[in-house]
Amino acid sequence: MLWKDNYEIGVPQIDEQHKELFRRVESFLQVLRSQVSWEEKVQKVNETLEFMKGYVVEHFRDEEEYQKSVGYPGFEAHKQIHTGMVDYVLEFSKQYEQSNHDEQLIQQFGGKLLAWLINHVAAEDQRIANYARKKGDELK
Amino acid sequence: MKDQIFKAYFDATQKVFNLMLNVSEISAHPSEDFKCDDEVDIAIGITGDLQGKVIYRFPVATSLNIVNTMSGMQFDAVDAFVTSAVSEIANIISGNVLSALSENNMDCDILPPVQCSLDDDKEYGINTSCRIDTAIGEVCLEIRLNRAA
Repeated sequence: MLWKDNYEIGVPQIDEQHKELFRRVESFLQVLRSQVSWEEKVQKVNETLEFMKGYVVEHFRDEEEYQKSVGYPGFEAHKQIHTGMVDYVLEFSKQYEQSNHDEQLIQQFGGKLLAWLINHVAAEDQRIANYARKKGDELK
Repeated sequence: MKDQIFKAYFDATQKVFNLMLNVSEISAHPSEDFKCDDEVDIAIGITGDLQGKVIYRFPVATSLNIVNTMSGMQFDAVDAFVTSAVSEIANIISGNVLSALSENNMDCDILPPVQCSLDDDKEYGINTSCRIDTAIGEVCLEIRLNRAA
């Protein structure tokens, strides 16, 4: 499984959204790397892109709200990372449509998405969790 | 300066391999011992107080191990997916280096990863390389940088 329990940040809503993201990406990768013809993959690939465009924006918004609620000092920098990824997904999506659904392009997208997502959740998001834990300890 | 920059890259590689691939032990060795005929070479350009590039040389076996570890799937050959995934790893390591350089008052930025050749006829004030050994294979770093005038 792509998801690892140590990716949890301890906020149920955000953890559930992360798990859903990982489930979708894992399912996307399984289709992308399967031996079926490209024509058979296209529909699932297109569904994933549509999902990413909607769900990722929603998740990033919820995560940013949480960061604000705990006064996370890295909020602006983290928001920039989110904005960069949303811009990348939208730009990629446009290129992919213009290329008439080129498989090489989507393979590139899959590779970057896999590494980006793992790093973002395992490293960047853990900083929020560490900050919230530290702040909670200080309030005790 | 050379040692400081090398340390930033080594530490960032260690951190990223640990967090993303659960590989905690890595070690540095002379690059003369890096022998590889088939590799994925990714350059990350650097601008700002330091200018130049760092080339990450991932042998095919290391590239496949990285992607297999991240995905939990079996990749047997380097293709657009694998190249893109290891390019992003190089990008993430370089992003971590920027933070370390910034703490040493060096303000730099990075360019998007590109697949490259090792040939380069430019002169660099800082020109060093190193083989890094990990449990999932070797990586060679070629650091080619100049201080901004």
